[in-house]
Amino acid sequence: MKEKNILVIGAGLAGIEASLLCARAGRKVFLIEKEPYFGGSVIKSEEVFPQMECATCMLAPKQSEVLENKNIELLTLSEVKEIKGEPGNFQVKILKKARYVSLVNCIGCAACFEPCPVSLDNEFEEGLSKRKAIYLACSGALPNVPAIDMKRCLRAKGEDCQACKEACMFDAIIYDDKDEELSVTVGSIIIATGFRLSDPGKFPDLGYKKFKNIFSAFEFERLRASNGPTSGEILTRDGNPPKSIAFIHCVGREEKGYCSQICCLYLTKFAHYALDKIPGVKVYQFYKELSIPGKGSQKFFQEVMKKGINLIRTEKLSISENGAGLRLTYEDNKTVDVDMVVLAPPVEPHPGAKEIAQLLKLEQEQFGFFKTTELNPIESNRPGIFIAGCAQGPNFMQDVILQAQAAAGAALHLTGS
Amino acid sequence: MSRIGLFLCECGPNIAEAIDLDKIAEFINKENKVAGIERHRLLCSEEGKKFLAESIKQNQFDHIVIAACSPKQHESTFMEVLSQAGLNPYLLQLVNIREQCAWMTPDKGLATKKALRLIRAAINRVRFHSKLHEKEIEANPDVVVIGAGMTGIETALSLAQQGRTVYLIDKDKLGGMLKNLKRLFPGMLDPQRLLQEKIAEFNNQTQIKVFEDSQVKEILGFFGNFIVTIINKEKEISLKAGSIVLGIGAQEFVPEGMDQFGYGLKNVYTALQFEKEGLTKIPDESKALAIIHCVGREKLGYCSKFCCVNSMKLAHLIKEKRPDIKVIQFYQELCLPGKEYDKFYRETREKGIEFIRFDKIGVGKNGNQLELKYGSGDGTEKHLNVDIVILATGLIPNPETKDFAQMLNIAVDDYGFFKEEHIKLGPVSTLTDGIFIAGTCQGPKDIKESILQAKAASGRILSALIPGRKLPIEAKASEISDSLCMGCGICVQVCAYGAVSIDERKHISVVNEVLCRGCGNCAASCPSGAASHRHFTNQQLYYEAREILR
Repeated sequence: MKEKNILVIGAGLAGIEASLLCARAGRKVFLIEKEPYFGGSVIKSEEVFPQMECATCMLAPKQSEVLENKNIELLTLSEVKEIKGEPGNFQVKILKKARYVSLVNCIGCAACFEPCPVSLDNEFEEGLSKRKAIYLACSGALPNVPAIDMKRCLRAKGEDCQACKEACMFDAIIYDDKDEELSVTVGSIIIATGFRLSDPGKFPDLGYKKFKNIFSAFEFERLRASNGPTSGEILTRDGNPPKSIAFIHCVGREEKGYCSQICCLYLTKFAHYALDKIPGVKVYQFYKELSIPGKGSQKFFQEVMKKGINLIRTEKLSISENGAGLRLTYEDNKTVDVDMVVLAPPVEPHPGAKEIAQLLKLEQEQFGFFKTTELNPIESNRPGIFIAGCAQGPNFMQDVILQAQAAAGAALHLTGS
Repeated sequence: MSRIGLFLCECGPNIAEAIDLDKIAEFINKENKVAGIERHRLLCSEEGKKFLAESIKQNQFDHIVIAACSPKQHESTFMEVLSQAGLNPYLLQLVNIREQCAWMTPDKGLATKKALRLIRAAINRVRFHSKLHEKEIEANPDVVVIGAGMTGIETALSLAQQGRTVYLIDKDKLGGMLKNLKRLFPGMLDPQRLLQEKIAEFNNQTQIKVFEDSQVKEILGFFGNFIVTIINKEKEISLKAGSIVLGIGAQEFVPEGMDQFGYGLKNVYTALQFEKEGLTKIPDESKALAIIHCVGREKLGYCSKFCCVNSMKLAHLIKEKRPDIKVIQFYQELCLPGKEYDKFYRETREKGIEFIRFDKIGVGKNGNQLELKYGSGDGTEKHLNVDIVILATGLIPNPETKDFAQMLNIAVDDYGFFKEEHIKLGPVSTLTDGIFIAGTCQGPKDIKESILQAKAASGRILSALIPGRKLPIEAKASEISDSLCMGCGICVQVCAYGAVSIDERKHISVVNEVLCRGCGNCAASCPSGAASHRHFTNQQLYYEAREILR
């Protein structure tokens, strides 16, 4: 007897799309997510190229459908601990960590944040703003229920702080909430663990973290985000809008050994952000090869470039400090001075991928992405387990969607009649 | 006279402290338009939902207004409670007095006034709500796949299963573009073997019915119930299906008339022509061969994505056959997206293939040879004699694309490819439910991406059309009154989903309920008031707006 349920690991764009297709077909889906929120990397973006649509608005209807669809069990703060069995019948153990806030009682009014005395760097905002020990990743994060970072809550240090509980009018704080272990049986598994961007500090010539006004791509994205640390104002770390910005393509491409595919176009989008927000800003793009594939891309690229972007091709580039600003030296000692530099580091597998690969006995290729068949980017080395989205390599959003739809199809087909 | 029940949710202190609910209740009570007013601390809680259901039953309310949070938050929650209480869920109007009043307007007096106005408007509107029913229709799970290249073959294989037949139709034979190829990059797989393997899989699939040498004559119907008429060996065959996948492919751009590339001269080929014929006919005395990238890119307006890597593949094929020939790649920007291609590029260079970046290039005749004149950015013109030139040109839509677009009433994009539902979120669907596009007919792509699109289209269909299951229909849809419609056809033009058409016999417009998504375009544009949206009728909107503006 084939088990009809489906497990999806990772609730970003790929995981959401795959879950929705399976659930619409009437299947029970367990959608598990490590973070307290879902939506993955997409919800970090303000807008999406080439149509410059609002990213969170684009994803919101799909997120609502996940939350409302009774066939989908969304398990946040959860991880796979053990998998046994075979295609058509996998037994999975899931560790669901305590949230310490009731998903049923909490209405998301946010009254608990202010009284919390703990102040921490907000990882979702790339450390550009602070959060409390009880927190939501960003405003608008779903589910709209905070979590308590119990490791860093004063209660973990033995103090009897009750600030959030006292502020909560809905009896939603559960200090003695416990981790749970769930056992589920599924017929097929879809891996959608996504990506992260490399730490640009790995490429020392570019001075990331050494010089203060060098930003990584997601930091810049959060600066432009209207729900971000500056409410969408692009500011240097000194709090001023930059008069000039340099965007650096192909960071770490040679060291990594592959083109990350998405950077040329998102840096074009960033140039659009800058010109849109800061009148008169000077924008430079330093690149090695321009990769703007696909039918809508060239038009978008040309439209942005027409607004007066300085496109500079160079094989060599180094960055140094120049008073309060930054100096870029390229080719044979040519220089450009700017107030802000934004780096596009390589797309790499999510750090959690390795553990999942070991647990599920999945092969990873040389770059650490899940290995898939040459002509079938969703097929892993294990029958019944499919890979979707950036877990298998750098991908544009449309390709993530395609893989999710294909993986859902494969899972439905495998566990079908 | 309807018995309207008004429920005021305090949302803990969120609404209770920011809005004077007592005052609202007092005012509404005076106006005598509602049969009862109830107040609750948190209506969305389990206890609150129970209270709501019981109160509806006890008071025999027949229309409900709930003043609480955003409909995005809890409209579906409350609709479900109505159903449980035996009331049609569309007899509800939710007023957002939290996000739109309590959280926006700090002055309690003003927030109360605003909330009161919105609640009055909702009471005025809800009287005109009518019961809407979520219907279902019978749907055929079978699929017609048009185009039997790699995309169509893969689609058919991924869809075939117990209880579902796939009809695979091609105007020619199975195989499409793949038949012309010698190898596939980057793994250099043999496409003919791949094709044979896939076709062999058909033998195990009695659910796939192949129609080669067949033309599509007509497609009628809609999602769940299409009738596709094809002509096969002068015979008309009618196929019934619930969904259609277009996988009609694309064709290589041939740079006719672009004289600077020397197309038409002897030994000047396009990439596909070379792979098909030129490779086996390299003259013995040939010493040098040039591959020019991005030919026609400027004219077409897009990068076809696969040509850079494909040009490298051709270099490998040439070197395999004739290691003595010098191969030079003339390029502008190397587009190598994806994790395998930088490696493939390095391997190509290691084989001794030269890469020259050009800013200008021209191909002419020089005796028995071809002469390239090019600039490489330093302002000087350089010359090079070669024996063969390959023009890497990219893909353009097949001419049939626009015929099918017309036949199915779906859109094409600026470049003539089928237009997808959404560039990011709906790459294989169209705005018309049940019609999918896959492979190069949607835009340039390589075999691997075509296979992925085929599988994605299959995924969408496997999710939506299930043997033995009916299709749900949107309850909040449009309708057109037979007696008021003048048949002007404006609604047909403004409908993005192909849901409105003219009934040729009656000369009036009709809405296809299965395709309508309830956007209201037809209702808004109808000059005679014949088209209306069932849940946004003129009456509902008028009485709501009148109260708000009073």
